Amino acid sequence: MTIKIWKHFPREDLYECYQCARCTGSCPAMEVAPAYGPRETILKCLNLGHDKVVEDEKVWLCCTCNVCEDRCPQKIPISDLLVALRNSAARRGNIPTRLSMALELLAKTGRSMIVHQLDEMRAHHGLSPLPAAPVEELRDILKKTGRDEVIEF
Amino acid sequence: MADLNGIRIGVYVCHCGKNIGGTVRCDEVAEYARQLPGVALATDSLYTCSEPGQEQIKHDIREHQLNRVVVASCTPRLHEPTFRAACESAGLNPYLLEMANIREHCSWVHLHDKDAATEKAKDLVAMAVGRAAKLMPQFEVTVPVARKAMVIGGGVAGIQAALDMADAGYQVYLVERTGSIGGRMAQIDKTFPTMDCSICILAPKMSEVGRHPNIELLTLSEVQEVQGHIGNFKVKVLKKARYVTKECTACGDCIKASPQHAPDEFNAGLSIRRAIYIPFAQAVPSTFLVDMDRCLNNSGIVACDRCFQACSHKCIDFAANDEVLDLDVGTIVVATGVDVYDPTALTELGYGKFPNVITTLEFERLINAGGPSGGELIRPSDRRRPQRVAFLQCIGSRSKRSNPYCSNVCCMNTVKDALLIKEHWPDTEIYVFYIDIRAFGKGFEDLFQRARREGVTFVRGIPGEIIEDIKTGDLTLLGENTLLGKHYRHRMDMVILSVGIKPHKDADKIQRLLNLATDTDGFYMEAHPKLRPVDTTTGGVFLAGAAEGPKDIKDSVTQASAAASRANILMSRGEVKIPAITSRIDPKKCTACGLCARVCPYHAIEGSKEQGFYRVIEAACQGCGACVPECRFGALDQTHFTEDQIVSQINAALASDPHDKILAFACNWCSYAGADFAGVSRIQYPHNVRIIRTMCSARVSPSWIEKAFIMGAGAVLVSGCHPADCHYNNANQNTARRVERFWKRMEKQGINKDRLRLAWVSAAEGAQFAKVIKEMEAGLKKLTSQQIQEAAEKLQKSLTKKSEAT
Repeated sequence: MTIKIWKHFPREDLYECYQCARCTGSCPAMEVAPAYGPRETILKCLNLGHDKVVEDEKVWLCCTCNVCEDRCPQKIPISDLLVALRNSAARRGNIPTRLSMALELLAKTGRSMIVHQLDEMRAHHGLSPLPAAPVEELRDILKKTGRDEVIEF
Repeated sequence: MADLNGIRIGVYVCHCGKNIGGTVRCDEVAEYARQLPGVALATDSLYTCSEPGQEQIKHDIREHQLNRVVVASCTPRLHEPTFRAACESAGLNPYLLEMANIREHCSWVHLHDKDAATEKAKDLVAMAVGRAAKLMPQFEVTVPVARKAMVIGGGVAGIQAALDMADAGYQVYLVERTGSIGGRMAQIDKTFPTMDCSICILAPKMSEVGRHPNIELLTLSEVQEVQGHIGNFKVKVLKKARYVTKECTACGDCIKASPQHAPDEFNAGLSIRRAIYIPFAQAVPSTFLVDMDRCLNNSGIVACDRCFQACSHKCIDFAANDEVLDLDVGTIVVATGVDVYDPTALTELGYGKFPNVITTLEFERLINAGGPSGGELIRPSDRRRPQRVAFLQCIGSRSKRSNPYCSNVCCMNTVKDALLIKEHWPDTEIYVFYIDIRAFGKGFEDLFQRARREGVTFVRGIPGEIIEDIKTGDLTLLGENTLLGKHYRHRMDMVILSVGIKPHKDADKIQRLLNLATDTDGFYMEAHPKLRPVDTTTGGVFLAGAAEGPKDIKDSVTQASAAASRANILMSRGEVKIPAITSRIDPKKCTACGLCARVCPYHAIEGSKEQGFYRVIEAACQGCGACVPECRFGALDQTHFTEDQIVSQINAALASDPHDKILAFACNWCSYAGADFAGVSRIQYPHNVRIIRTMCSARVSPSWIEKAFIMGAGAVLVSGCHPADCHYNNANQNTARRVERFWKRMEKQGINKDRLRLAWVSAAEGAQFAKVIKEMEAGLKKLTSQQIQEAAEKLQKSLTKKSEAT
């Protein structure tokens, strides 16, 4: 399934990138995962097409901190690009297991992590148990935001 | 077509090679023109502006007794003088020529729709033929050109222009804002690509200016007011007091006595000067000056006279006053130069926060023998010689966060600076972080190669961030080497930001005083980017140096000589013809109400109610036409832009399918030029717009707008220069007033007022012009024919009522 990510992101903005690499130089993800860099992501989108980029698991390394965007001399909305790319990647099944698991958990329990151990800890410290998560509401939100298109349940 | 009261029009449709012919079917347009009233012959040719093309026109004028000529080709702003000259040489008055702009306003902006472009071209030709039939012969008056010039700005460009004009024998006033001429070039250590010592080659020129009998040097001076026109400008210059008389020998005894300190501007703030000082050693005039903002006597009371006591010649005068000089000049050269970009806003680079991050201008002063360190390369934090130096390119250039343009000089300046360091301290490690190195000029590539051979490391990829080690003051650069695709961390002793250049902060002041146009970056606009690169749209005003666009010393000097030469042509001829486009008052219709005199931006209409008449002073009238729509009795008209000429253009434009059309009035200087610029840039926009040119938007009469709507025009655009940029002393405030009044009328009569649009479009805003037309087209699509019809009837009804009442 081809999703047109350019519906969600102004493609012409990308053409303005002249590869100065200020973005990658500012990227905190690059510090811990040298394989990743926004500059390279943009270049690949331009030269290889975004189809190639969304197949790569590197798109999931961005933490959307927006520093690259703040410093981009061409004001390219890089974080928006990454969000659009990841939406596209997820729809094609390129989604890390830890993320899809978290999503599944969210839909089932209303929380993205398992918390029953937390309850014991809270009881130990004399705290009341966590209130119930609004599972139904969350499910509705997930449905409306397109979870079903991304992951099969 | 048959004769029309003896009017015989020749129509020439130009292919302009493929420029027009590739989109518009020119033969079809000529065929169409043949049946228009008054047209004696119509033909198409490949290049009408060529010698054979012009010969054809001349031949036809004689052979076929043509008494009007219409050329459908490019913008009249380009070739009107060419074809006027051709008409004149065939014995036809040049004012009997009319042009239809079927290139910039048609073929270039409708590249992909041949049918629509051809139909539009036909309309434009019909409009031109309609106006041509009403044209009358005119005779231009000649005014003398004062053989004196003023140069604004005493940088290398201003110096060169002043010297060239003075050497040609003309009196020159060189107006400089600071205490010495020299400008940016005096601050620079060496020049690229020849590595000449900058001040060594500039200083002789500066002293030549100082002693030239034809140059009057006005330092500490600012232009306050400019009145008049080409050949006869009346200028007021504020000459600020220097507080030191000419007897000063620049001995420097006063400096030590002065108790007040200030950052030294010439050394980019890296050193300290006193309140009494000389800007730099080679300054011209070599006279000290008192910075009254710093001096203890700035309240008018002499509280301290230490410098006076120290002066053996007693040439300090605290009682000196500012004076205003009145200059009469024939030509003006604008050489206001540039400022450097202030990188403080780019916080990730730490300029202003980390002492060892400096700009290239600061570096120039650091490495200069006359600079604060005596030419020793030291870093500010600990005055130690840096072992590892980094240059960062494109700081403040090529960026939407600062200046969007390439500053042109920074690449080669950095290469030169890197080589200078290598020359004096070969063991220094130098890194240049760049995006692209632009080494395009003569000798530039050689210099770039030399730097590489000397071991300067070029890294592609600008650091994203600079981190300072607080203890050592060392800097760590984080970034990516894009060619290796690898992250880098470089530890550096000093970082030099290769900052871009921008128009001088006072450039907009001069722009308003002289009615100049600026491009979107703030640099002054040339009259034509290729063929009139040093002229401006204001006659008699020329551009020199980086004020027109970023350029290096060589280009600045070249342009300065060009500007001087253009001014010299005017001054050597000693006279200039003024276009015959002035306003005229019909004394029979004039009721001496005086409304016209009130709107005239040049006070060119004199008279009074008591005298019982008003008349136009032709030499003072600039031909904006703002007075004409103001007259309720139809007593005024503008020569060559008469009421019936424009009305016949409107008639022709709206003869067919008026409901789908946008009728646009555009002023000659900004909006028409802006539409031309859209054409030159090939910006495509809807083809249903028909443009009528007036000199100023203030010439646009509400009765034309009314007429257009009665004829069923879908929309009307009135466009002119931006409010402060009007070429006729803010005459366009009348435009705004009249349009607003018309809007109110539309509202009252229940007509959709969005159909009349007022837009300010400058000569550089081709894209803006296209955007306005696109928006109007979108609005037009929402209208029904019935709505247009109803509105027309309403306006017609009120018009009939009004004429019955009178």
